[in-house]
Amino acid sequence: MAMQTMAGAGTVTDAPETRAGQSNEAGRVLVLLDGSRMSYAALEAAAEIAAFTGADVLGVFVEEVNLLRSAGYGFAREVGASSGVSRPFDPAGIEQRMQRLASQARRALAGAVAPHGVRHSLSVAKGHVIDEVLALAGPGDLLVLGRVGWSSAPGARLGSTAKGLVHRSPGRVLLWCDNRALPQGRVVVFLNDHRDANRRAVQAAAEVIRHSRRPVTLLLGAGPDMPPEEREGILRDLGIQESDLHVRSLPSTDPVKVAGILRQERAVQLVLSRNCTLLQEPGAEQLLMALNLPVTVTP
Amino acid sequence: MPLPAPLTENQVYHGCPEDKLDFITTEDLQDLERPYGQDRVLRALEFGAGIQADGFNLFVLGPSGAGKHELVERFLSLHAARQPVPPDWCHVYNFQFSDRPNALKLPAGEGRQFKKDMNDLAEELRTVIPAAFESEEYQARLQELQEEMAKRQHQGLFEIQEEANRNNIAMITTPAGFTFAPMRKGEVIDPEEYKNFSDEEKQLVESKVEELQKKLQQTIQQIPRMRKEVRERVHALNEEMVQLTLGGPIGELREKWSQLPDIVDYLDAVREDVVEHAEAFQDSDNGPPAGLLARYKVNLLVDNAETVGAPVIYEDLPNHQHLAGQIEHRARQGNLYTDFTLIRGGSMHRASGGYLIIDARRVLTQPMAWESLKRILSSGEIRIESLERLYGLVSTVSLQPEPIPVSVKVVLLGDRMLYYLLSHYDPDFLDLFKVEADFEDDLDRNDECYDLYARMIATMARALKMRPLERSAVARLIEHASRLAADQRKLTAHDRVLRDILSEADHWAGQAGADTVEASHLQQAIDEREYRASRVRERSREQISRGVVMIATAGEEVAQVNGLSVLRLGASMFGQPTRITATARPGKGQVVDIEREAKLGGPIHSKAVMILSRFLASRYAGDGELSLSASLAFEQSYGGVEGDSASVAETCVLLSAISRVPIKQSFAVTGSMNQHGEVQAVGGVNEKIEGFFDVCKEAGEINGQGVLLPASNVEHLMLRADVRQAIAEDQFRIYPISDINQAIELLTGLEAGKPDDGGEFPENSFNRRVAERLAKFAEASKKRDSNGDANNGGGRDSD
Repeated sequence: MAMQTMAGAGTVTDAPETRAGQSNEAGRVLVLLDGSRMSYAALEAAAEIAAFTGADVLGVFVEEVNLLRSAGYGFAREVGASSGVSRPFDPAGIEQRMQRLASQARRALAGAVAPHGVRHSLSVAKGHVIDEVLALAGPGDLLVLGRVGWSSAPGARLGSTAKGLVHRSPGRVLLWCDNRALPQGRVVVFLNDHRDANRRAVQAAAEVIRHSRRPVTLLLGAGPDMPPEEREGILRDLGIQESDLHVRSLPSTDPVKVAGILRQERAVQLVLSRNCTLLQEPGAEQLLMALNLPVTVTP
Repeated sequence: MPLPAPLTENQVYHGCPEDKLDFITTEDLQDLERPYGQDRVLRALEFGAGIQADGFNLFVLGPSGAGKHELVERFLSLHAARQPVPPDWCHVYNFQFSDRPNALKLPAGEGRQFKKDMNDLAEELRTVIPAAFESEEYQARLQELQEEMAKRQHQGLFEIQEEANRNNIAMITTPAGFTFAPMRKGEVIDPEEYKNFSDEEKQLVESKVEELQKKLQQTIQQIPRMRKEVRERVHALNEEMVQLTLGGPIGELREKWSQLPDIVDYLDAVREDVVEHAEAFQDSDNGPPAGLLARYKVNLLVDNAETVGAPVIYEDLPNHQHLAGQIEHRARQGNLYTDFTLIRGGSMHRASGGYLIIDARRVLTQPMAWESLKRILSSGEIRIESLERLYGLVSTVSLQPEPIPVSVKVVLLGDRMLYYLLSHYDPDFLDLFKVEADFEDDLDRNDECYDLYARMIATMARALKMRPLERSAVARLIEHASRLAADQRKLTAHDRVLRDILSEADHWAGQAGADTVEASHLQQAIDEREYRASRVRERSREQISRGVVMIATAGEEVAQVNGLSVLRLGASMFGQPTRITATARPGKGQVVDIEREAKLGGPIHSKAVMILSRFLASRYAGDGELSLSASLAFEQSYGGVEGDSASVAETCVLLSAISRVPIKQSFAVTGSMNQHGEVQAVGGVNEKIEGFFDVCKEAGEINGQGVLLPASNVEHLMLRADVRQAIAEDQFRIYPISDINQAIELLTGLEAGKPDDGGEFPENSFNRRVAERLAKFAEASKKRDSNGDANNGGGRDSD
């Protein structure tokens, strides 16, 4: 949707541990909170990751400036996303709603991290969501967000914010969605001929399985074969047994076919590089839409 | 009338000569195939078991312990073995009305197979259907469908967004929906800046926003319809997958059970139900919910796989639930649940197509059981309902299983009184129990019977797994069977008593270390039984021997005679003498029965006293008036008196009181009398004679004492050995009498005397003395009446 950078619209941070603005500090988990159900699920996942890695959690709540402005029009009406009913839409009302959502986000953040004893803070900013997040996130940070927010259109599987951040985030992005955690599920990593990108993806996968001890499947997009030394290197990087590794090549990049393979592999999480051919293809968005599982996108 | 001769030893006992028994021990004898002497019952059973018409159920009447149950069960088992095995029945889920489980009939033994088939099918469904949903094909089709629908949904919104963007209007998402605002270069224009727009521009923007809002509203409002469409298409897809998956297993079953249309219909219903609940099978991790698969189970209510012939069932606790079945409940977290698998059949279900034996008294004492039994028999079907529901005590929703048709022959076992009471008071009874099978209490004792009776004893002995009986023991038992029947020409058929004596005799033989049961062991068993029951009898005799209860066994007394009575206590009975006294004086022709006045006499006794009173009047008063005020009493009798067996004794004592002629106290008298003075038979003669004999023995030596008893009772005598011994030695005499005059002559030693044509009794005869004394009474009464008339002007008996 039409949202573009509008930096400097103002950033407010709170909590004693606040380190907002120190975007270069490595190892934080940034979680984007917008008050939607999916964002709270993402918050739970972020808190768990932080608990394992010992990272701080930084919640980000952005009051979208376009939204605030549009409420300023006398003729503005809000059309209900489910009911289709048109209601009055005014600045005072939206202001209140935003404040309420922000305080809910604060409570949710504190509640989610409390069992893990992780340090946390919340950054509340006014501006454009993507810009604000990019301003906060550094290359070492993991950005966790729901695949769709409240701002998604009905039926959409990938929100505009998620789309923008996947492509522009300096660090890894985890697109969260609620799925069934299969007991024998595997972490699937897409690899192609881009060595650096592959390395980053394998690294990210290694971090994912460090705690969950799940087996890994490598999906080769580049060619049918993988040299044995490369395979050994990957095994070393992942730190798993030979028996816990599947390697299979991807016959096609058709989103439906790929989704089928992922089901066969009982995938519980997908790791791929932003430079991966799959994300470069025109059907990339469709693929993300077709997959009902968390996806980690590495730079 | 000549006086009767005293009975000989042979007349008072019908011994069993051993030469009639042609064997050494009962081991030499074969078992009886048919119960001996119960032809009437057997014919009734044969008829009742064979007849097909409605209402021909049986009631087997006989005293308890007669062996009814064993005989009926044995007979029916033989009869039923030749009949076809009835079908199996099972309850299955009713997919249309879940609270009314269906009933299915299958040929005998196939119920188990059907149950197993359905269990296997459910197991197969558990894996096959989730596998179908996991399949590539299904997933791809589902995804296609979902994508298409998502696209259609998204498309509408996307188009609106595109249109808005073309018109420089931003479609902004809000926490609850969407809003529109004018934009420039992808940014929403600040409202302050918008104020500077010309009116024309503003109108343009606002009309466009309004239009977009309307479109958006319409699009969003179409979403539920689209979602519904998706659901329907997904459901159709699921159904298609399940249909294809089920085709194999259900097709096989349909083929296998094709000869049973009901089963085929049920299988079709199962298929439809699985298709309808296809989504519930989708969870491949946990499988379909257990409750869903449980609906395809089969509750095998009646399993005749191992039944040979028609079933013969004995229900030992015939309450409503056990007869008609019940619906059980399972407690789960404090709540009670039930389903069709918890329906339990009753004995009526199991006996359907065969025979059900029930104890009548038990079924009548269980609440509602009798009514339920009758209802099932009249309707020909079993409807399982709880007792609380029948009483209307609960109204919670429960199952109403489809009634199962039943064709069962019920055989009730009960005593005769119960049969007659039911016939009289229950209008349905004779409609439903048309066949009466009446047990014989006694069997005829004749020359042919010995062999069969001995074989019956041999059969019993083998069934009891006891030592074989010697011939002498069998002979002794036959004699005792006559004593039990209280008849020289009968043998008891009472199964329990005979078995008990046999068991006891076996015990004593065991104690004595014998290999066979001899006559002495049998006698010991009889004596021990007698002894165990003798406490009250001995106390009673002791009272007499110590003179507390006054009984004279020697000498002569006026107006006093020894009557004989029998006391029954539990299973044993004994006789004892009772002193009967009388008084007589002038009066208005009345005999006062003191027992009746004191409300201690029963109606039969009162009737006997009335008879004797009329006998006196007709014999001695002739055409004149009987002027007598007499009384009769059983001395030292503190319980009730019933029966007419003392009427001969009462007549004699009353006549003695009138005539002042003494009566020999060495005699005891029993017998009833009619208005003509003829003596009639009474019961319990053996016990009465033995009772008097014992009292005489305890009073001193037996010397000339005796008993007068009705001549018609002679063939009921089966007296004890010591009594027989005394008779043989002529120390104790038993006189059979047929007329009151014989009793008078024996008791008084005087001639009784027959009236001549003028009605006059011979001089010095007993009756003359009575008549003369009564004439004096009449005179005295007349004189008193005339004095009374003269003095008082009124006549009344001054008693």
